[in-house]
Amino acid sequence: MKKSGKFIFQKYDTENLINRRAALVTIAKAGVFSVLVGRLAYLQIAENTNYKKLSDKNRITHRFLEPERGIIFDLQGRPMAINKQKYEIIIIKEETRDVEKSLVSLKSLLPHASIDIEKILKEVNSRKKFIPVGIIDDLTWEDFSKINVNIHKLEGIYPQIGFKRYYTQGESHSHLIGYVSPISKNEEESNPLSKLSTAKAGKIGVEKAKDAILRGKLGNKNIEVNASGREIRELDRVNSVQGNYIQLTIDSELQKFCYERLKGLSGSVSVINVKNGEFYALASSPSYDPNIFSKSISNETWKNLLSDKYKPLINKSISNQYPPGSTIKPFVALAALESGVSHKETFFCDGKHLIEDTSLESGYKTFHCWKKEGHGNVDMTKAIKVSCDVYFYQIARRIGINKIAEVCKRYGLGEKVFKSLYEEKSGVVPNKQWKLENLGSRWMVGDTLSAGIGQGYFLTTSAQLSLALAQLINDGMRLSPKLIYDNETVNIYNERIIADPGYLKIIKNALDEATNAPGGTSYRSRILGKYKMAGKTGTSQVRAISIKEREEGLIKNKDLPWEKRDHGLFIGYGPTIDPKYAVSVIIEHGGSGSGSAAPIASDIFKYLFEKKLNLKRNEIFNV
Amino acid sequence: MFNQNNFYSSALAKLQSINYPLLGLIIALFFVGLAALYSISNGDFNSWPLKHSQRFILGLIIFFIVIFFDLRLIFGYAYVIFFLSIISLVIIPFFGIESNGATRWINIAGISLQPSEFVKYTLILALAKYFHSINNDSSFIKTLIIPLIITIVPVMLVIIQPDLGTALIILLGGISLFWISGLNYKYFIVGVFSILCSLPVLWQYLKDYQKDRVLTFFNPERDPLGNGYHIMQSKIALGSGGIFGKGYMEGTQSHLNFLPEMQTDFIFTMLGEEFGFIGTLLLLLIYAALIMISIRLALKSRSLFSKYLSLGVCNVFFIYVFVNIGMVTGLLPVVGVPLPFISYGGSSMLAVMFGFGLLMNCYINRNIIIEKTNY
Repeated sequence: MKKSGKFIFQKYDTENLINRRAALVTIAKAGVFSVLVGRLAYLQIAENTNYKKLSDKNRITHRFLEPERGIIFDLQGRPMAINKQKYEIIIIKEETRDVEKSLVSLKSLLPHASIDIEKILKEVNSRKKFIPVGIIDDLTWEDFSKINVNIHKLEGIYPQIGFKRYYTQGESHSHLIGYVSPISKNEEESNPLSKLSTAKAGKIGVEKAKDAILRGKLGNKNIEVNASGREIRELDRVNSVQGNYIQLTIDSELQKFCYERLKGLSGSVSVINVKNGEFYALASSPSYDPNIFSKSISNETWKNLLSDKYKPLINKSISNQYPPGSTIKPFVALAALESGVSHKETFFCDGKHLIEDTSLESGYKTFHCWKKEGHGNVDMTKAIKVSCDVYFYQIARRIGINKIAEVCKRYGLGEKVFKSLYEEKSGVVPNKQWKLENLGSRWMVGDTLSAGIGQGYFLTTSAQLSLALAQLINDGMRLSPKLIYDNETVNIYNERIIADPGYLKIIKNALDEATNAPGGTSYRSRILGKYKMAGKTGTSQVRAISIKEREEGLIKNKDLPWEKRDHGLFIGYGPTIDPKYAVSVIIEHGGSGSGSAAPIASDIFKYLFEKKLNLKRNEIFNV
Repeated sequence: MFNQNNFYSSALAKLQSINYPLLGLIIALFFVGLAALYSISNGDFNSWPLKHSQRFILGLIIFFIVIFFDLRLIFGYAYVIFFLSIISLVIIPFFGIESNGATRWINIAGISLQPSEFVKYTLILALAKYFHSINNDSSFIKTLIIPLIITIVPVMLVIIQPDLGTALIILLGGISLFWISGLNYKYFIVGVFSILCSLPVLWQYLKDYQKDRVLTFFNPERDPLGNGYHIMQSKIALGSGGIFGKGYMEGTQSHLNFLPEMQTDFIFTMLGEEFGFIGTLLLLLIYAALIMISIRLALKSRSLFSKYLSLGVCNVFFIYVFVNIGMVTGLLPVVGVPLPFISYGGSSMLAVMFGFGLLMNCYINRNIIIEKTNY
């Protein structure tokens, strides 16, 4: 046995050989165990800190907490924009292996929900991987609990409770308050809330103007999660801070009344306190339900809103500009008084006014009074009362456009009323320089005449007109227009902008005549009773009337298509003794100021007088 | 009467001659596993821990049954037992249960069994008998080719399941007996060399997921959420355990489900996370002691068959422990091998108890001399 011939086995005694081999194997095993011990020592001792971090990173997830948006109150402290709880679903790219797969399983779980996988994928991929992206914004409690039960199948998908904005006043306030919707790309950098894709930002109106105040501060929390991302417990948190409250000068009841009064019409109403410049109402019609924006709005709804010819999305009290028409006349009259024209001076109106124009065959250009047969001899009071155009052609020609423009601007025309509202337009008070700069042509005498009756290049907004009148009625004292109570704009002017308080008497008297004396343009809308209103109508043309049409007879507004009809305007104040409010009403293509706008103003004043609204601030403090 | 008395006295004698330190260590490992499963099931004894205990008791019964058999009887039926286990592998493709793309289980009387677990030990049994009977001057074919075929057949049957990990363990266990039996070391050098050369060719025959696993092993960051995920999470769990561990039932990686397969393949990781380096070291020491005792007992046998069988069982056991721990610590690719006595799994538990039953039987009957047979 000791010697083997074939050398297949080692040449040892078998017993020894086995012992030897077993010993070698044992040594090898000892070696392998040492390697294992070494490996464990490396992982558990040397690399411990490293792996501890990784383990924490695994189990601890950072989540941002959405702050509740500040509430918007009205003058009386009625909440107008509040927050409601809602159930939403988000997805976090970082926490799923396959975004699409997770979305597909979600879709199969909620077959009736509209989930646009492609759109969400695009959104997810365009954002940073740790930013949660909303999938369903507002879902029912049943669906919400269904998701919660099946959460382990939905990697990276989380149900959560969020806030949705709710507007208690509905469509009557929508233009003014605005609405919120998801933060857009270009707002991302300036808005710290963009770390939370579900967070919203104000898009228009007060919501946008005061977004930084309303939005609040993000909170955050660290939570322990399991491998499927389910929250096991909360480790620590910094609560979010609710946005500050905002109180508006708007009285929601009055605003609602104004809006209701505009129903069926396209136009706007502004109501201002003539003593302190607070706006009590800024209504615009038609409108939209602001609460549709708290859910993701369908393309069709959005397109319909955009293409509607009555422009429901536009705030017509500040964003639509109109030629002021005859409502400018009190201010042109003021300019005349300042230029030394006596209010007693009379001009003769035969229905038209001619100016030389060599470019025309006749050598003259004719400017017509709205009354074809003319008003005869008119002084300033009568001119305002009956709204005589010829009187103002002549006055305008005498004092010049620059004087008219200077006075109009002094009363706030051609300038934004609220500096903070992004969508506000400034209007245009034209003068020679303006025309040269903007149109590149020389100012013509005809331009002055048009401007004298608020036509031509003149453009104003409803809010502007009411402020201009208010400043005039407030003994010619400058007002600080106010919509939002905040500490920044406490501007109390003690500045008289009227050259001579005596002028006010003349203008007020004329406006009173225009409304409360027979023959006045708004006589039909006068208010009988203790408190009266006074004001000026305006009808602004939106089309040029050809000579041929004049000869054949003017086409009546009601025979014209809606878009071609004249705008109807009215500015007024009341009560006539110790005035409190100024109102401007603009009815787009309403036909005439006396027919469409003045009755509405009259109703608003009646409402103000009769309801005796306690238009005093019921102060809301931030808690 | 006499026979019965004889039976009882011989049974008693056998019980008395059991090596109790070894049995004690086995029971200790079982309790470690029980504690681990209790933690994993969040303190619910009625789920995994209960079943694990039942299986261990069943394993103990098998252990004692194997002990009471006459060693010569086992020697006599070695090939038969091996053949039966091969049959069970052969029928798997026809009667087996598929799970996760592999067919590894068969259902016997309502119990799912994984025949490949048992083949590890039956192969050792067959090879031990074969090498026992071989002469030093036997021919090349007899001494090398035939045992190689005996080894390759079960390995191939397991590879096609497919279960590469178990197949490699069966192969390594078999080869270890070639070494123990004294085969000239030159053959091993040639063998290792030729395997290295044929690796690129073998690579072509691997399934995609197997290739993935191997690639991931060499570069775990290759696919951190896919194949690398398991091994990464395992390393994180072990590493974050530190020296003293996170505390019993306090492991975050395991209790928050970051750890995959923690009741089976990755149970060591879970223990390492909760008990730290101290815990893993202690566990390794228990395994080392068990293996050392096994070797010592094996070498006491007088017959070659006993020695081969005992050392073979010990080697297979060692390979198991090494591959599992090597795998969860990132030293080896993830091949899906349980940790003996601790991992939850019926076949593995019963098979390892069967193996140690054989080993203990050899020890009890260490003085029996078995004649060489004609294979």
